[in-house]
Amino acid sequence: MNTELLFNGFAILAVLGAVGLVLFRHPMNGAMSLVVTMVALAGLYALLSAKLIFALQLIVYAGAIMSLILFIIMFLNLQEKDLPEESGRWYYLLGGVVVIAPIALFLIKIVKTLPGSEATIVGGGFGGIKEVGLVLFQDWLLPFEIVSILLLIALVGAVVLAGKRRLGK
Amino acid sequence: MSALDILMVVVRVAFSAFIPLCFIAVCVWMERRGAGFFQDRSGPNRANIFGFRAAGLVQNLADAAKLIFKEDVTSGHIKHKFYFVLAPLIVFFTAVVSFAVVPFADTLVLGGKSYLMQGIPLDLGILWFLSFVGFSVYGIILAGWSSTNKYGVLGGLRSAAQVISYEIPMGLAIVSLLVVYGTIHLNEIAQFQGQLLFGFIPMWGAVLQPLGMVIFIVAAFAETNRTPFDLAEGESELVAGFHVEYSAMKFAVFFMGEYVALFVSSAMIVTLFFGGYQVPFLSTATLINNAKPVAFLLMIAVPVAMHYFAGWIRRSNVSHYPRENDPRVFEAEIYIKCFWGLVIFLEVVLLLILFADKGGPAAHIFVMLLQMATFLVKITMMIFVYIWVRWTLPRFRYDQLQRLGWQTLLPLALLNIFVTSAVVVALS
Repeated sequence: MNTELLFNGFAILAVLGAVGLVLFRHPMNGAMSLVVTMVALAGLYALLSAKLIFALQLIVYAGAIMSLILFIIMFLNLQEKDLPEESGRWYYLLGGVVVIAPIALFLIKIVKTLPGSEATIVGGGFGGIKEVGLVLFQDWLLPFEIVSILLLIALVGAVVLAGKRRLGK
Repeated sequence: MSALDILMVVVRVAFSAFIPLCFIAVCVWMERRGAGFFQDRSGPNRANIFGFRAAGLVQNLADAAKLIFKEDVTSGHIKHKFYFVLAPLIVFFTAVVSFAVVPFADTLVLGGKSYLMQGIPLDLGILWFLSFVGFSVYGIILAGWSSTNKYGVLGGLRSAAQVISYEIPMGLAIVSLLVVYGTIHLNEIAQFQGQLLFGFIPMWGAVLQPLGMVIFIVAAFAETNRTPFDLAEGESELVAGFHVEYSAMKFAVFFMGEYVALFVSSAMIVTLFFGGYQVPFLSTATLINNAKPVAFLLMIAVPVAMHYFAGWIRRSNVSHYPRENDPRVFEAEIYIKCFWGLVIFLEVVLLLILFADKGGPAAHIFVMLLQMATFLVKITMMIFVYIWVRWTLPRFRYDQLQRLGWQTLLPLALLNIFVTSAVVVALS
């Protein structure tokens, strides 16, 4: 009963945040609604007893990435007059809804045909940092290392792109 | 849930919610008296209630009354009022909530059940703290931005950039700590520090990770926006930084949030590096087994300490010029009587423990109270270090601050991780 209430609350918040991100005109409002979505998603992870993912979602997405985005928005110091004219945006929205509606109906149909099963809380420290770490470094070591090399490449690329340009080039 | 379960939930939540709030008053008082001490002056000592000044604590009440009854101004040029009001709340809320996973006593075993002595019995530990530290940046950014004030925006920019960049050395210092402790659970970290190195040195983080401790403490100073890293509110340049447009209780909430953050980061430093709630040299098991001798020693030590404390009060609490029937002497006598009353109460409690069963629930509760007291004493000492640094060191320049973070602390923290990992692998 409680978990259902919480799930509904977080799900509604997540969807509302996403809708706000698309509909708000001011970038700060958009970014703040995205924060709401991120936090609501963290709540959903916590309901799935994925404790580590919950903390990482809060630290990395809701904490670090979104605060950098907010920081940049503050840095730009946008005023009402700087915002672009979006006269046709309601038409675009309407078009988007028309395109998405059949897919959404299809998805709802699929979800409804799923066999109902009783949800139980997984015990044995499921989702804790130790368990996830053991799985990651025993069963999934190679994929984990490959992903970390990918991240390293992105990091090096960012440094190269942001580095000082040589004069006369 | 039995009545005991409910009582324990209430006790734990009350401790982890009210102690940080109570420490706001203690911190503000220590800050002012400390500033006075370091600058060779008295600090606040005039505000009184019927002549009782409580060593300057009454000044806090006067401040609170002032801040509550001041006019709450929201300037007309502020367009995003929602964020303007939300910002101080975020700063305050994240500071209070991040204390929720800090253990203030070892796991309490009562009636065959064990209770984790922290606000939220969650095993996320340090990750919870990191996530809420990250959140407090939102409050600063939103406050600076929604003020629509150049000083506010500049202060917000500085502060946010500082907090974000010092989170990295802090996180890396924590990584090397976790390599040593092998757990993220703060209670297990504190239990680990109850052991003894070579049989006589407490295995504190400060001994095992001296470099990590320096990096973490410097980063914690920067995270709480305290001097020498308080450029965000450099009065001479920015008036007050990100909270320049705030007045009355909105400002007070920022102010209180800052002191709660100070308390929480002291608590984290104590938990990670100074043994947490552990009484030095006495682990929890030793204390529970020897509750009676410890209580007996305390019964002797407390009145002796009180005797010297009373002498100190009597010597310090006098007027600085000769007065007839000095009211301060009378005041001091009242304080001394109050403190002796407290000591008598303590003696009665200790006496009860002397007559209780060996290793029974009374011993467990006694050890819990002892550890809570140790924890609070350690935190108070750490807060004093914060105040000490604030009134001793001048402010950094902004480029120096960023250079220290990125070019000194970050490589040092990385080096620390490698050295620590190598040592841990070699020893295991």
